[in-house]
Amino acid sequence: MVSATRLDGDYPFHGKNTPLDQFEGVKIHLYRLGTEERELDALKSSACADQGSPSLLDTIILSQWENNSREGQLAYDVTACKLKVIEGERDFVIQMNDKWNSFSLNEYGKFSHPFGCSKLSSTKICGELLLCIEEGEKNEPEVVPLTTPPNDGVMLIANAYPVEYGHIFLVPNPTNRLSPFWDKKMFGLITKIAAEVNSAAFRVFFDGTSIVPNHTDFQACYFANPLPVESASTVPCNYPEYQNVTDMKTRSGVCVYETVDYPLKALVFSSNNANALVNVVSEACLTLRENNTAHSLMISNSGSNVFLFPQVKNLATGCYLSAWECCGYFVYHAKVDFDRASEAEISSRMASFSPEDGAFEDLKNLCCAIADDLDTCACAE
Amino acid sequence: METSAAAATAEEEERGLAASLTARYSDWVAEELDELGGSFLLTDPAMPGHPIVYASRGLPALTGYPRRAVLGRNARLFQGAATDRAAVAGLREAVRAQRAHHVAILNYRRDGSPHWVLLHVAPVFHAADGTVLHFLAVQVPIAAAPRRAACRGPALFAACREEARVEEELPCAATHAGEVFVDIDKRGLETTRWLEAEEPRVASDCDKEKALSTASSIFSALNRYSKLTGLVVCGKRCDSVGIPALSSSLNLSLGRIKQSFVLTDRHLPDMPIVYASDAFLSLTGYSREEILGCNCRFLSGPDTSVDVLEEISRHICCEQACTVRLLNYRKDGSTFRDLLQVSPIRNASGKVAFHVWVHLDESAKCDFNGLTPEIWQLGAVGAVRVAVRSLSASGSLLRPAQ
Repeated sequence: MVSATRLDGDYPFHGKNTPLDQFEGVKIHLYRLGTEERELDALKSSACADQGSPSLLDTIILSQWENNSREGQLAYDVTACKLKVIEGERDFVIQMNDKWNSFSLNEYGKFSHPFGCSKLSSTKICGELLLCIEEGEKNEPEVVPLTTPPNDGVMLIANAYPVEYGHIFLVPNPTNRLSPFWDKKMFGLITKIAAEVNSAAFRVFFDGTSIVPNHTDFQACYFANPLPVESASTVPCNYPEYQNVTDMKTRSGVCVYETVDYPLKALVFSSNNANALVNVVSEACLTLRENNTAHSLMISNSGSNVFLFPQVKNLATGCYLSAWECCGYFVYHAKVDFDRASEAEISSRMASFSPEDGAFEDLKNLCCAIADDLDTCACAE
Repeated sequence: METSAAAATAEEEERGLAASLTARYSDWVAEELDELGGSFLLTDPAMPGHPIVYASRGLPALTGYPRRAVLGRNARLFQGAATDRAAVAGLREAVRAQRAHHVAILNYRRDGSPHWVLLHVAPVFHAADGTVLHFLAVQVPIAAAPRRAACRGPALFAACREEARVEEELPCAATHAGEVFVDIDKRGLETTRWLEAEEPRVASDCDKEKALSTASSIFSALNRYSKLTGLVVCGKRCDSVGIPALSSSLNLSLGRIKQSFVLTDRHLPDMPIVYASDAFLSLTGYSREEILGCNCRFLSGPDTSVDVLEEISRHICCEQACTVRLLNYRKDGSTFRDLLQVSPIRNASGKVAFHVWVHLDESAKCDFNGLTPEIWQLGAVGAVRVAVRSLSASGSLLRPAQ
């Protein structure tokens, strides 16, 4: 079904810390998304049983990552890092990993020059380029082996310090961008990628917690179980005009939920219309940025759910939670901390990043307004 | 008196040998086996001396021994002075390890004349408890090598041999020559000398097929008649009783993966298969019940490279991944070129829980959605890793004790 030519196992990049100027003239495998609208089903549970066989893109990403791992390009084998579920109601998941370095993210400074330009800053990418994805023009997806990266694609780069299996950076090519921050088009593409992978285990994370735009803010990885936040109870905040299931499919409303009793206040945007979802979330995030409100996102359920975590800065450490930490997944560096981690400790840590009730209410109302407002425009997009 | 006592012992012995068959199979099994063509034996490893308990109708024609003459004797009676010791050692090892084996070997007829045969030996397992009931040994005569086709017909055979001996350097002749003269067994002395000059023969594909099909017919006959006495005989050992079941969620996740693969568990005795994908069953022709609990060795056969198998073993022990190519066998005995990826797979505890074996029939004209075979297989490995690392797959390992 895919008009594709065979991929070779050639990987023209080698070595860690490849300076960006070495991307000039580079050839990578390209996956072009099909234009056919994929039907998302927001109401579908994320149980694996509901899904069919792995999609082509899913297989390619996993195989590229596995090959990359075999070639010794990763700092360590993340599957050798022990996981533990914390006793309690939240089922927080923690990982014992003394090799993961959160500072490894900071090595990826900004790069505002398009690929292929020889004059670049000395930023380093710590990881191998696995694949490039762009919007295609044909109905069906196609795979193009070893080609020049297009100007408006998203590069998938393996994270050499993975937090989970398949951990990648989704780095857009910045040439055609209007603003240094991510925009609706880019977010739309990333959501489409999530939908195309179509795996309940594949989630995209976004950290909007630095003032300086960082093009490595979108990341993704595979984790087979629901994350703690996905198991948390939610209540709806808005009531799009047509509530019942059958009408939802035709009306394409975006539902906004708020988490209940979760240590970090969060909103969930849910829709089976990708365009509407992208519109609403982009608008919400733009407003947050204008108000200098730090926030993280998590895209799950093959692109039909987006979790929004507004955060306040921890004044003691001057940092924020990473997106997966917002979801209830923590990495511990020291065995002693790993062994004595408790739900109470983690909950209070998360709560310290949570905005005040008042501020959160405002945000909630704003998001509902956006969702309802764009509701009518959603189909037109 | 003596003769009658001797006769009585002989009779007893005969009954004992016959009982070896009839205890496990119905009385009609001998008749059924008599119908089969070819020269073959059944031996009983449980009886002292590992004797022959059945000899086929075709045996006298090939070996010159009447059937009754070989019953009760060990199968080494067919070997002689010039039989390659390494070949014999290989056979002995296969019998000890209870696995199938084939080798081209020099045998001797009753009159002492040597001849080359392809000897195919295979264990017959009791399916329920895995004990070896019998060994079957099929003998297929190997014709002279094609390059001696210049010699037409048996009349010129001896003459050609003489020429060959003079013209060619054959190191083995030197070593065996010594043995021939000091060995007590001087059977076929004259003919042995000229036969030594010949290179060891190689079995053709046709010979091998013949051996396999004869073996297969024997198994079928044994199976058919063993059911009557309540036993089931199969060609490989299985013990599915001891495998703990995989969690249902893991089974579900693995079920979505379309490639041909199995999971084995190194922590269980004999590293049995604990999961097999549908694609694997299609590829090999086995049913799930037949292979769960079995070690992967049932895929190997006479032409499977032992070196490659050892390489896989080494990597499994070191918990390293490997990619190999080898010849594997389906249930129906046909072979296929297998591109095999073996990888250790860890669960959420961080420790190796399984090994995944992703198979691929290289000759199958399959379009893996436009991907190369290697990428198709690696995709399966990645999917298995994600599935096995899940918390529900790893079960209660991760929950602190209540």
